[in-house]
Amino acid sequence: MNFPIFLWLILLPGLSAVLTYLAGRIAQRVSLWFLPYLIAVLALLSTWVPFSLTAIRLAHGDNLQYTFGSITLRMDGLGLLLSAVVLGLGTLVALYSGPYLSKETGQEKFYAMLLLMISMIIGLGCATDLFNLWIWFEAMAVTSYLLVAFYRNQPAALEAGFKYLVQNAAGSALVVTGIALVFAATGSLNLANIRAAATPSPWLAAAGALFIIGFGVKTALVPLHTWLPDAHSQAPSGISAMLSGVVIEAGLVAMLRALGTLVAVSWTWYLLLIGIGALNMLVGNLMALQQKQVKRLLAYSSVAQIGYMLLGLGIAFYSGQPDGAQGSLFHLLNHGMMKGLAFLSAGVILYALYIASGDHGPLLIEDLSGAARRYPLAALTLSLAVLGLGGLPPLAGFMSKWQIFAAGFETHNPWMEALVIFAALNSVLSLAYYVPLINAMYRLEPSEKVKRGVSMPRIMVVPLLILGLAIVVIGVWPSLMNWLTFPAARVLMANLGV
Amino acid sequence: MLSVLTLLIIGIPWLGAACIWLAGDRRPKLLHALATSFAVLAAIVTLAVLPFSTSNAVIRIAMGGILGDFTLIPDGLGIFIAAIATVVGSAAVIFAIDYMGQHAHQLARFYALVLFFIGAMAGLALSGSLLFAFFFWEITALCSYALISFHNDNPRAVAGGIKALIMTQIGGVGLLGGALWVYAYFGNYQINTLLTQYHSLPPVVLSVMGFGFLIAAAAKSAQVPFHSWLPDAMEAPTPVTALIHAATMVNAGVYLLARFYPAFESIPGWSIAVMTVGVLSALLAGLMALFADDIKRVLAYSTISQLGYMFYAVGTGSIFASQFHLFSHAIFKALLFLSAGAVITSLDTRDLRKMGGLGKSMPFLRAMFVIGALGLIGLPIANGFFSKELILEGGLESGPLIFYLIMLFSAGVTALYTVRLLYMIFWGEPSGGPKPAHDGLPAMRVSLIVLAFGTLTTWLLAGSFSQMLSNTLPFHHLEAEPTIALVKQICLAPTTWIALGVIALGFIAWSARARFTAFAQAFRPIAEAGFGFEALNRQIVNGVKRSATFVQTSQTGQLNWNVVGILAGLVIVLLVVLRGV
Repeated sequence: MNFPIFLWLILLPGLSAVLTYLAGRIAQRVSLWFLPYLIAVLALLSTWVPFSLTAIRLAHGDNLQYTFGSITLRMDGLGLLLSAVVLGLGTLVALYSGPYLSKETGQEKFYAMLLLMISMIIGLGCATDLFNLWIWFEAMAVTSYLLVAFYRNQPAALEAGFKYLVQNAAGSALVVTGIALVFAATGSLNLANIRAAATPSPWLAAAGALFIIGFGVKTALVPLHTWLPDAHSQAPSGISAMLSGVVIEAGLVAMLRALGTLVAVSWTWYLLLIGIGALNMLVGNLMALQQKQVKRLLAYSSVAQIGYMLLGLGIAFYSGQPDGAQGSLFHLLNHGMMKGLAFLSAGVILYALYIASGDHGPLLIEDLSGAARRYPLAALTLSLAVLGLGGLPPLAGFMSKWQIFAAGFETHNPWMEALVIFAALNSVLSLAYYVPLINAMYRLEPSEKVKRGVSMPRIMVVPLLILGLAIVVIGVWPSLMNWLTFPAARVLMANLGV
Repeated sequence: MLSVLTLLIIGIPWLGAACIWLAGDRRPKLLHALATSFAVLAAIVTLAVLPFSTSNAVIRIAMGGILGDFTLIPDGLGIFIAAIATVVGSAAVIFAIDYMGQHAHQLARFYALVLFFIGAMAGLALSGSLLFAFFFWEITALCSYALISFHNDNPRAVAGGIKALIMTQIGGVGLLGGALWVYAYFGNYQINTLLTQYHSLPPVVLSVMGFGFLIAAAAKSAQVPFHSWLPDAMEAPTPVTALIHAATMVNAGVYLLARFYPAFESIPGWSIAVMTVGVLSALLAGLMALFADDIKRVLAYSTISQLGYMFYAVGTGSIFASQFHLFSHAIFKALLFLSAGAVITSLDTRDLRKMGGLGKSMPFLRAMFVIGALGLIGLPIANGFFSKELILEGGLESGPLIFYLIMLFSAGVTALYTVRLLYMIFWGEPSGGPKPAHDGLPAMRVSLIVLAFGTLTTWLLAGSFSQMLSNTLPFHHLEAEPTIALVKQICLAPTTWIALGVIALGFIAWSARARFTAFAQAFRPIAEAGFGFEALNRQIVNGVKRSATFVQTSQTGQLNWNVVGILAGLVIVLLVVLRGV
């Protein structure tokens, strides 16, 4: 077959985006406001068909590759993992956003952008040359700017979108400069060719630094993270879930793809990953510690969680063993689910207390008082999500953090062991801001907001239940996800030349 | 068969927790019935497994990759802790039928968490894999937190729960590190691998691991310097206190040290460190108990103090004595806490100063309290007498004399604060406080009678208990002794008579308390301040908060500074990278 099935993973959401937008514009005249919603959900549900087929073919060891002119797209384990996260969370977010946005105008734009973002991220996972990697990355970024500023009449949302745009554009410029340096030094943009040609040289090393910082802005590495709390808290909750659960991770994958070609150039990569990882954990946790706004708190927690992934990747870069990478990628997957669930659950409460009455104020921790009696499911799933993020068993986050930690100890290097202990203490610190959310929700005395809150829309139950169950099941039975994380780690290690 | 039963010890309570959670709050009677039946069933299964204890893994499931094998080993030590968890758990659940009656709103959450805890505690004891021991260890901490702050509307309950969680978690990092090292050096997490092959570890690693486990154990068992979370945990509903903060979870630290004793005893300074922690905790907590005015806080301090005895016993190498005292303490302290809970519901206050002279109107609860007190003080024929004497005897034999003398003194202090407690509730002048509403409700009485019976009789099991431990713990080299021989040994030992003399001094001190008023006045502020440990905690918390505030200044919200951050990041990364070319 000339046209491999995995391309449908990119095309189906991408083309549906156009369809959704057009259908939405037409539907406005006949007051079928739910039409774009319906199309988006159906399109994403049907994308699971090519996804499953692709996963099966990949498991059989097929080489899934398509060349169009000078552009080659290739689906590998890492791409599949990214697709699984983005498609999984994307489907649930689309389903969730129907009632959440029911009172907003411009829904067709929302769904079109969401579909496009999903398509671009899957494409990003399939890129085989630096330039295309950057194109997919930029296209994804453009959709996310628009989605952050979806509430276009809210000054705070606009400010967040603007900061996001400017900072990421700065990062993007650095990436392009890096690409130029690589091209000048090796004469190629193809990832495999660069890897073969890369030898220690200051220019290539500088290119690597530019990739770390350029992609790092999107990944919210400290000190490049300053846009994140605004963007992730101002976006509609479904988009907050996507941004924290997938988009920053997509930046990480892009960085790994680019950096993976330059492993031979410098020995310092692992040092940078680990150093920045440690900084991310500490700064993210300390920033979250005294937050009063729930979504802002969750946004800072993403900064900290990225730190764990960087730590695991740094360990893999250092030791050449796949365990750290596998732990990291497992954590990427789990973080997608846990942080997605946290934002969606908080979003349910935000919707019921604020959005439904047309209020765009921030959800405060004190508003959560007594939420468990009005919204038992949302309170439970938010609790599960934050406890999982804090690394408590029997939830998914415990298992992936454990894998990262075990990989660190496997190096038998005292510095790595000390870093793991530092990371573990950071998890304890993170509980200091996660658990007060739970305490507030399980109070009996309801807050003024909860007393006046509307009831939770039925359809929102589905994503919360699915994600909540998933993080418990994976926490008890972590090997369930090995089919995704093992091949992804293998690809990553192969990129590192192991 | 054995493997299925062993799995059920964890499975039944967890299934119960799920059922109760699904049942919701609507029908309280159904919840009581469900909780009681699942808890009692778990206890029956555990007792059925008890005679078949073995040192082999009865369950082994490969978890894949870096997670090793999940194993369950119902050996003497493990099944014994599981039995305490399920049996005392049943007593606590039955007691809760009356106690929690007034909290119909969140009953499902309460019972689900209690059952979840019981299963996790059994899992912790039975797990043969360090990873899963840690897994269950953390779940017990999670349940403990959630139940301490069960009354979330009470800010002190919330603060107490979070404090308990954070402090035990910080200690837990010690256990985490140890487990990871076992994996890093042996390629699996099996406890028995460590116990057989610890010689092959680099001495530094073994030593750091041993002290890491000590930190974990001290935090979990509320020992100095981590003890201060336990008194604050007294905001929990009393059945929870009896189960988690007296009979089971706080013993996990002692269990951990006893379990790994064969590997760590040779580490220089380890045994003496364990003893020091135990001795300090026993003494300081005993002194703090003398000045506490909250009925539950007195008992909490006494728990810290008694756990100190167990640490001391492990440090002196008397593993059997430490576990025997753990056994006795679990029963008599659960009895004391549940009796206190009955008194609290009857009076609706925990303040001792509002009690007094209640013995006449509460004869049943007074009897229960006195039986529990016999165990706590260590008077015959309560179980605490035999186990405590065994510890002191072992301490004199193999520990430093000064430690023995301090522990002896602490036995006197124990007698003193226990008598004070009893006197302030049941004897003395009526304070004019609230009138008692009842003398133990029916379900409460059932639990109390079971536990009181246990307090007076469980020492008869000493022989079979020591037989079981020596049969199934191949690395500990314990010798089995029949009950008769143990009793004879205890009764004839001179240390026993010395200890009884010191306890008598404690009683005398109480009757002559008027002479010590000035001293007590001077000493009270020091004890109430927790000997400075509270201030230390506060300083650490404030330090973290200050650094958080400091870091927050980096979030200026101004785009220009944000871009400066990006450029600064670039410069630093470039410098690092270019050095490494």
